Amino acid sequence: MSVAPANPLEMLAYVVSKNIQDKQIVYVGTGLPMVGAILAKKTHAPNITLVYESGGQDPIEGSMPWSVADPVTWRKSPITMEMPLSFAQAANGYVDVAFQGAAQIDMYGNLNTHIIGNDFLNPKARLTGSGGGNDLISLTENTIIVGLQTPEKFPVKLDFITSPGHLYGGNSRKEAGLLGNGPVAVITQLGVYDFEPVTKRMRIKSLHPGITIEIAQACTGFELLVPEGEIPVTETPPLDVLEILRNEVDTQKMFISFPPQ
Amino acid sequence: MSKVAPANPLEMLAYNISLMIEDNQIVYIGTGLPMVGAILAKKTHAPNITMVYESGGQDPLEGEMPWSVGCPFTYRKSPMTLEMAISFGQCAIGYVDIAFQGGAQIDMYGNVNTSVIGSYENLKAILPGSGGGNDIGSLTQKSVLVGLQTPDRFPAKVDFITTPGYLDGGDSREKAGLLGGPIAVVTQVGIYDFEPVTKRMRIKALNPGMSVEIAQACTGFELLVPEGEVPFIEPPRDEVLEILRNEVDPRRVFTKMPGS
Amino acid sequence: MEFMYATQEQFDRLVDFKGAREYHLSKSRVKKDKRMSLGEAIDRFVQDGDILAETGFSYVRSPIQAYFEIIRQGKKNMVSIGSPMSNTSYLMTANCVYAIHLSYIGVEMRGNDKNFARNIKTKKAEILSIWSHGSMALGFKAAQLGAPFIGSKQLLGSDMLKYNPYVKVIENPVGLDKSEPVVIIPALFPDVCIIHVQKADRYGNAVIEGPAINDIALAAACRKVIITAEKIVPEMSIRELGNACIPFWYVDAVVELPYGALPGCCPGCYYWAREWWEWLVRIGTPKEENVQDVMRYWIYETKDQFEFIEKLGGIRFINHATRLMEAAQANIDDSLVSFDYQEVIPKWD
Repeated sequence: MSVAPANPLEMLAYVVSKNIQDKQIVYVGTGLPMVGAILAKKTHAPNITLVYESGGQDPIEGSMPWSVADPVTWRKSPITMEMPLSFAQAANGYVDVAFQGAAQIDMYGNLNTHIIGNDFLNPKARLTGSGGGNDLISLTENTIIVGLQTPEKFPVKLDFITSPGHLYGGNSRKEAGLLGNGPVAVITQLGVYDFEPVTKRMRIKSLHPGITIEIAQACTGFELLVPEGEIPVTETPPLDVLEILRNEVDTQKMFISFPPQ
Repeated sequence: MSKVAPANPLEMLAYNISLMIEDNQIVYIGTGLPMVGAILAKKTHAPNITMVYESGGQDPLEGEMPWSVGCPFTYRKSPMTLEMAISFGQCAIGYVDIAFQGGAQIDMYGNVNTSVIGSYENLKAILPGSGGGNDIGSLTQKSVLVGLQTPDRFPAKVDFITTPGYLDGGDSREKAGLLGGPIAVVTQVGIYDFEPVTKRMRIKALNPGMSVEIAQACTGFELLVPEGEVPFIEPPRDEVLEILRNEVDPRRVFTKMPGS
Repeated sequence: MEFMYATQEQFDRLVDFKGAREYHLSKSRVKKDKRMSLGEAIDRFVQDGDILAETGFSYVRSPIQAYFEIIRQGKKNMVSIGSPMSNTSYLMTANCVYAIHLSYIGVEMRGNDKNFARNIKTKKAEILSIWSHGSMALGFKAAQLGAPFIGSKQLLGSDMLKYNPYVKVIENPVGLDKSEPVVIIPALFPDVCIIHVQKADRYGNAVIEGPAINDIALAAACRKVIITAEKIVPEMSIRELGNACIPFWYVDAVVELPYGALPGCCPGCYYWAREWWEWLVRIGTPKEENVQDVMRYWIYETKDQFEFIEKLGGIRFINHATRLMEAAQANIDDSLVSFDYQEVIPKWD
């Protein structure tokens, strides 16, 4: 039986899953990161523990949550934490990796979820605010950013730094007193990026099949660093993994139908 | 003629403690005589007080006399049991009305020492330490000090301030940034308060049979004496004594005089 | 600070540790039957000019029906705070709230709250300070702990520091590295909160099932606390389990309010009216006149939660929402329960 190849959102979910290692404690929001985390748990990382902003710890598996504090996020959880304690876990070194999306991402992995436009009182668009975004990226050991890559969403300079990545590059994140490694990867519909160790600028790590440096650059508002040598092609999901994703993880196709519902 | 034996000094102390408690208060208590006094208050003039404990028990059902601060009787069918930081937090944010505290030394400004006799450098005796004493004395709106009154135990200045009372008197407690403060000292001799301006310990009322001279002889500093006649505390009525003996501390764990 | 609407006193009151303590000290400790109607509780304990702390998590165990009553009673000049909030923009539209302390207003993956953005843009309301969830949560927690402030590692390096006059970055004077930056977050003491719980007794001892978010801290911090409960239970049934998280002496009013979190979800009780929210986000909020229609139909022309349920679909809606919650919590065999749902637009004219 033939299986349809991965669509861009399925590819994104797969790459998210591959960035999770077995036995990690993973802090997940809703949406694609959760799909990726559950896929990881059902494939190469069966021993991960999922923890949620709403306080749910290590829930048993259930349907896709409809909201961050969906009952599924604390389905038969042995414990449900108050909000400050749930974030404190990240600060205290009990969370290995967190995922985060944003309206804008800059070359140092800083994120904006506050305003579009540079006048705070009269912006072009007003977004949701930080929520737990600032807390997670400030406190967690490793953060992975998941986003749609366009020149507007990947600008040279953010309209507002909601969640600090590597701030102004170099040592500036550490000097500001933030915890953890900050963002370690950016996953988009085009490829996977990391941060060059010295300048902390965003650098191509791998590109999805059919994507070139030129395409990636054209979708970015700042200059992407390009590693030496040949750029690897991101691994695509094997058919059995795709089937698990479609039939067991997001059965209602809430997050992986393309174009999005 | 009453058939009930008069109160012994420990019973008198428990009774005087009970008088410090007003109805409807939230009362923070440790074990020992303050607990006896609080339960007596609840069974007599203050039936609607709510008891909260350092170990976290909140509003437990009435039961046996707790054997320790963390005894199950302090959280017997409590609707909730708080973590320690939160239990002290309640004092700071104004949800505890009155707390009781003992000490090896109490000085004329109501400072309490439960740390060391002598000094850590020149040790005569080492005591258990603050426990929750400093927290309660620093945060609760009203605290009542309970102690055995002798010149050694009531020195002019404690060897070590574990729990601040009025520090050096005057407004020094407020200036130190502390909340609330001691309102009374209850001993086997009588009840003392703090003169409003100097914050020095002052006789408020004496137990039957005591005198200003006896009180002074049991004290290592000069006690302030109020103007006019010093009032005497009415001894507990027979029915109160019977409640104390039969219902509050029937095994006489805390109210039996040593050697009797 | 220059404000458009809020007063300096309202701004300062949020961090008035001693004022909150004095208020708490002045509250009656009498363990009495505090039950009253929702209308009476809001009338007596939510006052014009109050700092209202929003509870629950957006639309999980949030006292939404009580917020509707605040709108119906026409409270004014309030300041709102909460992490997260999602009901605030309607309080703004109704002129109940004119200023907020912001950590998050949105409908998660369903996007931004356009009604909120519009209210800020048209200067119907103003933003007084900006926070993350965690930093605000620490402010409430500090209040519960009776600690004047907490040192934290979030907010550093972000632009939120520029829009948050309450917090301060200092070098940690007690750290191993004395030049280590930390953010000092003050204890936050709002005036009033309404906490919707699954169970409470008549005195106010309250049990929360599922995520408590900031509500345990808020019950201790707020000057006034209203409990709305799905069920009023005998005191002894709470004592049997000993799992209350709010003691009666924090509580001013107890309201029996079954379905009080609708159209949100209440853990252990009912799932969201998901179609309602989808519809609200897509149709109800894009234009101001739509919001006015929403508020007229669902709030002003709806007397109580039971009329609200009738408009949602009555007993069939409740039965479905209850089954979904049971299934989500793995309390019933969920093989026959489907979480699929349609973009059905509720009937309204």
